Amino acid sequence: MKKEIIHFTKNAFWFSVFALAFYIVAICLLGEILPSKWTKNLIYNSGGAGHSLNRFEEVKNVKNVDILFLGSSHTYRGFDNRVFYNNDLTSFNLGSLAQTPIQTEVLLNRYLNQLNPTITIYEVYPIAFTIDGIESSMDLISNDQNDFASLKMATNYNHIKIYNSLIFSSYRQFFFQKHKKQGEIIIGNDRYIPGGFVEKIKSNFKPKSSKTQELVFKKKQLATFQKNIESLEKSGTKVYLVQAPITSDYYNSFSNLSEFDSLINSYGEYSNFNKMIELTDSLHFFDAHHLNQKGVEIFNKKLLEVIPFKKE
Amino acid sequence: MLFNSIEFGIFLPIVFAIYWLISNEKITHQNAFLILVSYFFYGWWDWRFLSLIAFSSSVDFWIGLQLSKTQDQNRRKFFLWLSILVNLGFLGFFKYFNFFAQSFSDAFTLLGQNIEPIRLKIILPVGISFYTFQTLSYTIDVYKKKLEPTQDIFAFFAFVSFFPQLVAGPIERASNLLPQFLAKRNFNYHQAVDGLRQILWGLFKKMVIADNCAEYANHIFNNSPEHSGSTILLAAAAFAFQIYGDFSGYSDIAIGTSRLFGFNLKRNFAFPYFSRDMAEFWRRWHISLSTWFRDYLYIPLGGSQGGTSMKIRNTFIIFLVSGFWHGANWTFIAWGALNAIYFLPLFLFGKNRNHLEIVAKGKKLPSFYEFHQMLFTFSLAVLAWVFFRAENLDHALECFSKIFSTSLFNSPWYDGNTKIMLGLILFFVVIEWMGREGEYAIERIFLSWKKYIRWSFYAFLIFTIGMFMSTEESPFIYFQF
Repeated sequence: MKKEIIHFTKNAFWFSVFALAFYIVAICLLGEILPSKWTKNLIYNSGGAGHSLNRFEEVKNVKNVDILFLGSSHTYRGFDNRVFYNNDLTSFNLGSLAQTPIQTEVLLNRYLNQLNPTITIYEVYPIAFTIDGIESSMDLISNDQNDFASLKMATNYNHIKIYNSLIFSSYRQFFFQKHKKQGEIIIGNDRYIPGGFVEKIKSNFKPKSSKTQELVFKKKQLATFQKNIESLEKSGTKVYLVQAPITSDYYNSFSNLSEFDSLINSYGEYSNFNKMIELTDSLHFFDAHHLNQKGVEIFNKKLLEVIPFKKE
Repeated sequence: MLFNSIEFGIFLPIVFAIYWLISNEKITHQNAFLILVSYFFYGWWDWRFLSLIAFSSSVDFWIGLQLSKTQDQNRRKFFLWLSILVNLGFLGFFKYFNFFAQSFSDAFTLLGQNIEPIRLKIILPVGISFYTFQTLSYTIDVYKKKLEPTQDIFAFFAFVSFFPQLVAGPIERASNLLPQFLAKRNFNYHQAVDGLRQILWGLFKKMVIADNCAEYANHIFNNSPEHSGSTILLAAAAFAFQIYGDFSGYSDIAIGTSRLFGFNLKRNFAFPYFSRDMAEFWRRWHISLSTWFRDYLYIPLGGSQGGTSMKIRNTFIIFLVSGFWHGANWTFIAWGALNAIYFLPLFLFGKNRNHLEIVAKGKKLPSFYEFHQMLFTFSLAVLAWVFFRAENLDHALECFSKIFSTSLFNSPWYDGNTKIMLGLILFFVVIEWMGREGEYAIERIFLSWKKYIRWSFYAFLIFTIGMFMSTEESPFIYFQF
């Protein structure tokens, strides 16, 4: 009987090795030949929405900036590097698709030392604290260089889509030293601006009413947020927490925003720009929660007034 | 703990290794270990209900001993009824209390009197319908002297709580499973490999077929007023595959896991969608429940003996009770009634045992006639599933009114994932067809081929699970029963 058990264990082990190798090869092969609509759990959105590919390619050559912007799409669509450049401030916008504190942590580990910012504007979008961040992880994996931090992030999530994306993206990185697509400057109605900002070329938004929703914050996101602030402060950068403007209708749909404001206030110096500037939903936004270029200019002007950016 | 969870993926190898490490010890040690891990497995969901299983097991073990001590018929009857009352009492309270309270209130409302129903916040203990029937089979068999009562309390407790089939069956008979706990289990390589193969197929059925079909079926049934008859019919067909993949997948994993520990459980599904009539369908669907009702309800009621009215009465009772067993909702009763209506003509005209063998045995393809018979039977089953899936009777009737309207001829709603779902169903049906003469579909497929081809096929199934599994949380449907 002992012999049989050993034989079984050995075979089970070798089959596991074989199945793992088969899995990796099949993911890489099908990722190359099948259109994405047929690969349900392999999301590899390289060079897609949000211009993450351009941003992560560019950041590798940037050092020592005055301002670092971190956060969700509100960051790369809300802070225009050109406005700050015109005020003698160098900056880099490291926002990414639906970025939650967990992805911010990965990006800080990769780029904080190299960017060495004097000031960090950490954009806090309430929803980013209520979601897992799976979509954002896949965006990061599909567009940036993968390393041990990517693997750690994947095992943290333990989500099949993230594992599949990581396998395919790592294979591209290993065999081709590049992602499947090249970063383009204009994708649809979006233009990538060096420094990480994405400009909406045209916008035409008709506001719709939003359903009331309650924000339920994830403990894990809040804990990572705390860690991020600590590592930023430890690096010597001054951190400002900023809530970027969203449409008034969408803003008022959250039933417990005051709770969010007091929560974020407890982490550091916080400004909620929804309360500080007057914007019109139909004129200054291109959807329920993203500013158009007109809105960005007003927001950034106000930001320059509120935050003491000027070098001593 | 769910079979398709990471926790179970860690739990199973550890338990397997320890179990066979103590295999040279006494059977009692193995059984005690199985009780421990089974209670851990169940307690992972809610430890409070462990007391219920322990109490049920204790009562039935004690009743079994009392039945063996007395030949007095009245005393024996008393003990039998005590077991039935305790077991069905728990089941009735946890599963049906609110249903009866609401139904009485509704009945009084119809008579013009408004009575506010008493509603209790009751959590339904997972698997109560399954282990209740399993322990009942023991006391009934002992009462009927078909089975010697066991004196081994460890074996009995392990029999009731055996983790692979504790929460969703197959409902095992004491006469089949209990003796396996009393005999020494020896590791058998081929049995263990076969067990792993069946687990793999069960996972594929659940995670790929059932869960992908669930996404479509849930979306359509939850928004049925917005959809055409053709879309609802497609959703009902998706639900047919969902429930089959879900439940038979669970059974496959349960049977396969048991085989890893040296146990042989009864088959629960035998390719029901390849049936040529509804009588055959019911011989192939949830076999452990159908045969339980046949042996412990239908035959004591008189079975097929007696006149036509008796046959009709017994058939309706068995199908209605079967429907009601699934849940405290009129939709399940309607589902049972509709199946009784499907079954009765075959039964009354003596055609209910026309198809005892699997369709097209020894052939590659069915005949044209057989194909149409299967398609017709599948269509009947799909229509009945509408009752099973609907939220309530009004919802079911609304779905039927759409299905039997001109919108049946509209193009059904679909998206990219629907195409993937249809492709996966096609692959699944082909494999099931190829393996229909085995105990489960992939039991013999590629078995005579070279090892690397066989392994590639299994690795392909694992890859398909990884690539197409649903990432939405979806527990096994039968847990709620």
